[in-house]
Amino acid sequence: MPLARSLSVTSLSGLDDWDEEFDLEDAVLFEIAWEVANKVGGIYTVIQTKARLTCEEWGENYFLVGPYTEANVRTQVELIEPSNPALIRTIDKMNASGCKVYFGRWLIEGSPYVVLIDVGFTAWSLDRWKSELWESCGIGVPWFDREANDAVLFGFLTAWLLGEYVAQCEEPPHVLAHFHEWLSGLGLMLCRQRQLPIATIFTTHATLLGRYLCAGNVDFYNKLAEFNVDKEAGDRQIYHRYCLERAAARCAHVFTTVSQITAIEAEFLLKRKPDFVTPNGLNVKKFSAMHEFQNLHAQSKNRINEFVRGHFYGHLDFNLDKTLFLFIAGRYEFSNKGADVFLEALARLNYLLRVNHSDVTVVAFFIMPARTNNFNVETLKGQAVRKQLGDTAHTVKERFGKKLYESLLVGQLPDMSKMLDKEDFTMMKRAIFATQRQCQPPICTHNMLEDSSDPILTCIRRIGLFNSASDRVKVIFHPEFLSSTSPLLPMDYEEFVRGCHLGVFPSYYEPWGYTPAECTVMGIPSISTNLSGFGCFMEEHIADPSAYGIYILDRRYRGVDESCNQLTTFLYQFCQQSRRQRIIQRNRTERLSDLLDWKYLGRYYISARHMALAKAYPDTYMYEPHDESQPSGFRYPRPASVPPSPAHSLHSSPHHSEAEDNADEDERYDEDLEAEKDRLNIRQPFALPHRLLTHNNSNSQKN
Amino acid sequence: MAVEDQAFVTLATTDAYCMGALVVGKSLRRHGTSRRTVVMVSPNVSLEARRPLESVFDEVVQVDVLDSGDRAHLSWLGRPELGVTFTKLHCWTLVRYRKCVFLDADTLVMCNVDELFEREELSAAPDPGWPDCFNSGVFVFRPSFDTHTRLLEHAAQHGSFDGGDQGLLNSFFSDWAVTDIRRHLPFVYNLSANAFYTYLPAFHRYGHGAKIVHFLGGAKPWHSCSNPPANQDSRSQLDQYLSLWWAEHHSQSPPTVRKHSQLTPALTPPGPPHTPPSVTDSLPPEVRDLLPPRTPLPAPTDLTLHVPLPAPQTPDGMETDPPPGGEDGHSGAEASSSTSGATTEDEQPVESQEERKLQRRMWEEGHMDYLGRDAFQNIMKKLDRFLK
Repeated sequence: MPLARSLSVTSLSGLDDWDEEFDLEDAVLFEIAWEVANKVGGIYTVIQTKARLTCEEWGENYFLVGPYTEANVRTQVELIEPSNPALIRTIDKMNASGCKVYFGRWLIEGSPYVVLIDVGFTAWSLDRWKSELWESCGIGVPWFDREANDAVLFGFLTAWLLGEYVAQCEEPPHVLAHFHEWLSGLGLMLCRQRQLPIATIFTTHATLLGRYLCAGNVDFYNKLAEFNVDKEAGDRQIYHRYCLERAAARCAHVFTTVSQITAIEAEFLLKRKPDFVTPNGLNVKKFSAMHEFQNLHAQSKNRINEFVRGHFYGHLDFNLDKTLFLFIAGRYEFSNKGADVFLEALARLNYLLRVNHSDVTVVAFFIMPARTNNFNVETLKGQAVRKQLGDTAHTVKERFGKKLYESLLVGQLPDMSKMLDKEDFTMMKRAIFATQRQCQPPICTHNMLEDSSDPILTCIRRIGLFNSASDRVKVIFHPEFLSSTSPLLPMDYEEFVRGCHLGVFPSYYEPWGYTPAECTVMGIPSISTNLSGFGCFMEEHIADPSAYGIYILDRRYRGVDESCNQLTTFLYQFCQQSRRQRIIQRNRTERLSDLLDWKYLGRYYISARHMALAKAYPDTYMYEPHDESQPSGFRYPRPASVPPSPAHSLHSSPHHSEAEDNADEDERYDEDLEAEKDRLNIRQPFALPHRLLTHNNSNSQKN
Repeated sequence: MAVEDQAFVTLATTDAYCMGALVVGKSLRRHGTSRRTVVMVSPNVSLEARRPLESVFDEVVQVDVLDSGDRAHLSWLGRPELGVTFTKLHCWTLVRYRKCVFLDADTLVMCNVDELFEREELSAAPDPGWPDCFNSGVFVFRPSFDTHTRLLEHAAQHGSFDGGDQGLLNSFFSDWAVTDIRRHLPFVYNLSANAFYTYLPAFHRYGHGAKIVHFLGGAKPWHSCSNPPANQDSRSQLDQYLSLWWAEHHSQSPPTVRKHSQLTPALTPPGPPHTPPSVTDSLPPEVRDLLPPRTPLPAPTDLTLHVPLPAPQTPDGMETDPPPGGEDGHSGAEASSSTSGATTEDEQPVESQEERKLQRRMWEEGHMDYLGRDAFQNIMKKLDRFLK
């Protein structure tokens, strides 16, 4: 029986039917984060995408807790009355004591319940609470750090909410509170300090100190064990924040982080080894037609082609059919995001392509928002010129067609010499003259505010990638997020990614890395590093990642120059692939999307919750840890006896010419065969081998 | 010519606001006000923050809504979110003054504004955000227990529509907008420094005549950098006000203060019982004396609150403070305090408590001793007490 594509990973090994093994009937889950219904950074995405799965598991007993902001509530929350009687009493009581607590549904997938607390409204308690914090654990909070003061308010309010909820329940409830990031960590600490009967989980998505240290250009990963963390935090004036974070990690029943690499970081900087790694997932959109994503790639690529035609007008001496679009995107952190390494590798790639007389052209996009004064005139003019040429061609075509039609009406074959008259030629010549250009095509699409000190532009000046005709690598820096309403490149980010050939994310500091994950689920190959959470995860789960279009750069054990060389090799290899090889590679990349679906990655969260419940309520819940030594369904390295893996076929397939028909592609890309290969190459995310039993349940079974 | 029954009143509810109050006091002094100056402080304000205030203001009054045990306390229990508001309303109880002008601690006085005392209660300037309401950062009032009580009743019944004192006062003095134009202070008496003026030509025409500038909003001058940008041309109006504020903050107390405080004893002793129950008087002298030399500060000059003080002049013949760090002065103070035998017994707990307070204050100023006493190891010990 042919496998449906979406089952490729599921089919790897039988899934335990875990639903019946524990009873969450009377348990309640509160998930607390500053970014609940409040977009500040990446944690918003994590919580928002995970909500649906958690709702399915916990139903009416799942509550997200976040800060109240009017603007956010107006746009994404529907305020309603709570249905849980204990929660009604809790909220009423708090509102009667000088708080403002709101309840509603967050209008996202799964529409979870949210409890939103107005932090500013209780600012009158700040001083009292700071005194309490000081008395209980000796941490003070400077008055000038507004964010930390908000964290104090939010922490005390959430602890109040949880404490009140426990008090309002008629029977002692099983409450699980999951806190994200240092901003909410104080609530956890207070729960423990007040000895509330609550199971607590703390998840840190990055460490405060790690981010600071990496941005500070220290040799972070090699010196991890040597840092005097108190001193580093104190010298960087984040000591109080660091204390809050570390205290939360210390107090939690279960401590988790998002990737192996962040786990190492946390072990050294927060001095606690995470109990679990809970990777971030996505909600993968399934298409009914298998190759739908390939069609979308073609459509989006055409739109990028149009932009490139305009951008390089007057210098369009390269074949767009043999042009590859590479991109890097994200927050503008020049070295943390690896833009430095990428640029250096591009310069080397340019050299390689030139000396090898390659006919491939590479256009590298940098999508990183910086401070600008809007679009620059030259780039806008490029698009206008392209449009004018299109209009001219269209006008001439209309007139040509009319003459042809009239000629045919009178039964004569047209006289080709009279089809285009002098006027048409004049118009066309004028249009061609308009494409003359004295300068090189611009690097940057916007007028930068700090043009002379901008790190990307400075680096480009140094390595000399100026989009000249002889350069095989062209660079376009778009210092603004993409938008479908832009007059320049009217595409949103997703469309743009689909139209590109390769995403390049050689980050030095990247706790998780949603950008390569998003590429993967859209079937676009990507380059990441073994210092990014995503890279570690893929390395762990796939035997030969690069066959699946997941190139993992070694930045941990190699010097910068070696890393640049490795990246150059990856890029050069990629450039040498034929169109068909790229199509097959994209198919394989897309097959990995199941691996990144919350449906699978959510299990890590489930396990973490079970462990916390078992620790806090040892009489009710039991947790048997999973035996790490026997991973199931994954053989690594690949045994020699199995049929050629995708990696093998990639290298063995001869260089097909572009002229080759796509019709035989399906013969070579066989779904069943690929699924078989997946089974050998991809390890299922998590086999859920542990058991969480409620004693009640097991007792009743015995009875 | 000093006028004894009229006063400028300001309020500091935290150590940070003391910096603002100090600037209000200094700027009033510098422009030679002939009225008394009073600062109300809430109990949580540390002694270190109060000390500079004492040398600038005529009176430092501690107000504690919780201790008063009266109607204010009851109202507070009903509406705890209005805590700071109730503290502010306390100014109506300063009945030893016939008339007062209240100035928020985030204001800066640009010239002599004694003419404000010609106005009647309740005079205030319109709020830039809603001109039919007055802004409660600057207002003229007459202290009266009766008004105070009625205000509290009003608060308990109606609350405040904006959650603060301005909403409460506006609904209490609800006829301000329509009855008497003389109670409308010109806008220059409460010019908001960081508003974006949509009527820019008017701001250019009249803005330079500002008499009192008010730093509304969340970003207070003491949050900003004390070194404003060097380029004079590109500086915005706000930056100019900010640099004025900082100039005032850094300034030594003007000589008029000294003159004034020398004048005070001559005027006060036989006078009516308006010597306030200020915090200085209630404090045992040994505590005051012990504090500064004990501070284990890594870099005392960094402390923002440690403004250079003139040697405190104590009118009531109390001992002057020992010079900071002077061992002799220290032991001398101890010797003098040991004359009253009972206090020495209590000294140890008081001192360690004070030390804890000081340690906390160092945290709050961002000067925690992270390599020593405040190392995470010590925090962890505290945490582990409640972790099983």
